[in-house]
Amino acid sequence: MRPENYKPVQHSASHEYELYFGPNHPGIEGNYALKCVLSGDVVQSLRADGGYLHRGFEKIMEERLWIQNVALVPRICVPDPVPMEETYARAVEMLGGLEIPKRAQWIRALMLEASRVCAHLFYFGGHAATMGMYSNMFWGVTDRDLILDIFEEITGARIYHMYITPGGVRRDLPEGVLDRLSKVLDYVESRLPEFDNLFFDNAVVINRATGVGTLTTEQALSWGVTGPNLRACGLPFDVRRDDPYLIYDELDFDIPTETAGDAWARTLVRREELLQSIRILRQIIATLPKVGGPIRCALPNPLAWNVPAGSVYARTESSKGELGFFVVSKGGAKPWRVHVRGPSSMHAVHVLERLGPGSRLEDVAQIMFSLDACPPEVDR
Amino acid sequence: MNRELESLDAVFREMPDLKVEHTGPRRTRIQVEADALPTLLELLKGRAGYLHLSAISCVDWPDTEEFELVYHLWSYQVSNLISAHTRIPYDPGRYVSVYDLHAPAVYFERDIHEMFGVWFEGCPDQEPFILTEWQGPPPMRKSFDTVAYVNDTFEWREYQPEWANDPSGGKG
Amino acid sequence: MSTDPNQAVACRTVDAEERSLLGRVLDRIADHCRARSLFVLHYCTGCGAIELPPTMTSRFDLERVGMQPMVTPRQADILLITGYLSVKTLKRVVMTYEQMQGPKYVIGLGSCTINGGMYWNSYATIKLLDRYIPVDNYIAGCMPRPEAIQQVFLDLMGRIDRGEAQAWKDYYRRYDWYLGQQQQLFGTNWQAPTDVVGEAIRYRLVGEQTLGSHTAHLERYAPYYDQLGIIRPEPARMKARPQLEVVSR
Repeated sequence: MRPENYKPVQHSASHEYELYFGPNHPGIEGNYALKCVLSGDVVQSLRADGGYLHRGFEKIMEERLWIQNVALVPRICVPDPVPMEETYARAVEMLGGLEIPKRAQWIRALMLEASRVCAHLFYFGGHAATMGMYSNMFWGVTDRDLILDIFEEITGARIYHMYITPGGVRRDLPEGVLDRLSKVLDYVESRLPEFDNLFFDNAVVINRATGVGTLTTEQALSWGVTGPNLRACGLPFDVRRDDPYLIYDELDFDIPTETAGDAWARTLVRREELLQSIRILRQIIATLPKVGGPIRCALPNPLAWNVPAGSVYARTESSKGELGFFVVSKGGAKPWRVHVRGPSSMHAVHVLERLGPGSRLEDVAQIMFSLDACPPEVDR
Repeated sequence: MNRELESLDAVFREMPDLKVEHTGPRRTRIQVEADALPTLLELLKGRAGYLHLSAISCVDWPDTEEFELVYHLWSYQVSNLISAHTRIPYDPGRYVSVYDLHAPAVYFERDIHEMFGVWFEGCPDQEPFILTEWQGPPPMRKSFDTVAYVNDTFEWREYQPEWANDPSGGKG
Repeated sequence: MSTDPNQAVACRTVDAEERSLLGRVLDRIADHCRARSLFVLHYCTGCGAIELPPTMTSRFDLERVGMQPMVTPRQADILLITGYLSVKTLKRVVMTYEQMQGPKYVIGLGSCTINGGMYWNSYATIKLLDRYIPVDNYIAGCMPRPEAIQQVFLDLMGRIDRGEAQAWKDYYRRYDWYLGQQQQLFGTNWQAPTDVVGEAIRYRLVGEQTLGSHTAHLERYAPYYDQLGIIRPEPARMKARPQLEVVSR
């Protein structure tokens, strides 16, 4: 892609050259660009170029009512939209001083964990595809579709549910959906040995991914790495456990860690997290029928709802890292300011620009996918 | 764990002008003067273990012609989130970068510079990232009216109710 | 040499009305075959791209109707605009579209390509896609389901087979208008590397709105075109607009 003011420039004879990696490139995740300076096939410097997916969310959310933004927030992150809905709803509840019913909290946790399973299955496919292995992509996407069917049954939509609203959830679970979810989880778990044969125990993949994009623990801490990428460096930090929200302090789950900090460790952490999410979902499935009560608390008229003035920072563990919503209210019918800390905003720009130099060109896509960088939430 | 909590109190003793407020479980709000904020961040990082800069948010307050900068810091050791609020005036709209303390700050400061037009002294990278092809004013300022801009720049499609009945547009 | 650019260059024509009977029969056979082997450009321009992996892979499996993703625009037939386009992306989309070889087809996926959708008041996204590139099919919805994407592909295949999907010719015939819309957003300095006017002459698709006040802005880039070695129409031929015979659709 040439910029609009392109003029051919005569370079002096040099061994370095510039390569535009994206936005229209099959190796890039989403609509995102990296400008690489290469010598041979070794990256000398790397510069991220975002904004292709910029929609100005933070601005247009200021223009709409509190309840209208429920439709807008899931669109910030496409592969993992539920944490966005949940965090926004929780931030508004914290501002408004609402206490949501127990049953709604359990249903929200169920949605969050199911969304995490989806995102991780998608991740397996994406990471394998950067190594030229497309069978994994086919399997991961197809298994993910079974969970999308459950989502569709609960909420009416496959991707953007708009199900979690301030005050609770929109409607109760349909009859028998927990049994069907349980069957889907059994199936996904039974598929893992197949994934192991194809991907996780595959010597080619292990050789290809080991030592690629290695983060040391000090680097991870000082560069603001969060989520599974931080846990792959040996730090057992998880917002669900250390800053618990909803009913996560009542659940029993482990925080898997790896010590290597490379692309392979990040993938292994996500494999274990998938199992932990299934474990959490099983606990929720066992508990949810015993938790009765309403699914929404009483709200004022949502079209004329003036949320009390104040500011709040709500955090969630999304499948990609730490998600933060800073919401400021001036006491009006619309938010005064909403700042979204995209979970992968740090990974896609700051970390990637520092991990890239020194790696080889064919590993750039792999580093980006293994960090699970998600451009829409960087650009917002 | 108690050792770190005591050191947090020591930080607060050292800076008596802070307005500290516990707003919820694991949430602390600090109101701090603009010239004291870098010192506060340094003390929090060095003495109380607030290593993780979660985000820097900027809020526009046109009534008082001020930007409010909010630094969200998380401590892995004591599991507490501090939101340090400070205000800087529109004019000159400059502030110091905290890049030397927290490397992730460069991303957020670049973003705030792009969206609000605040200049951060000492920030190594304030080139446009998202709005490289944007000619207008910083769009997140309250004075920028996005609806008026859209109406000026773009045209709208006529609403054609018959499309609801015949989605193919009469082609079959 | 004639001053009519549609006659000036002796090469193949794509206008059905100028074709001989045998040529038209061959065209129909080519269309019939083309409709069964469509390559979709692998470019995720927006959030609708998340429904493409399910559509392409095992569950809905579009490969059984002869479609598959293609990584380079020069070999792709379909440009799928998967959702909202920011102005920054639109530039790349226009460049990509111009690099694709005709016949080429554009599908707008989702409400945001039709009228802005839920980003109607966003300063960053465009509202009407067909102002900037010609669009063959739209799918409404946010976001469209894989079944809807399949349906629109089948519809497009049928229209290609019947020779009805001709929107790409409109880009050559009314290039000045499209370029004007693009310049309104990108500024008059806007230029894409592809020589669309030269292609219009080669395809014999020069219409009365191919050249105009907006394409005149491109003339200033002539020295750069020369340096790049791009063959472009001679200025005298471009200025011969008033004498053009109009080719109607």
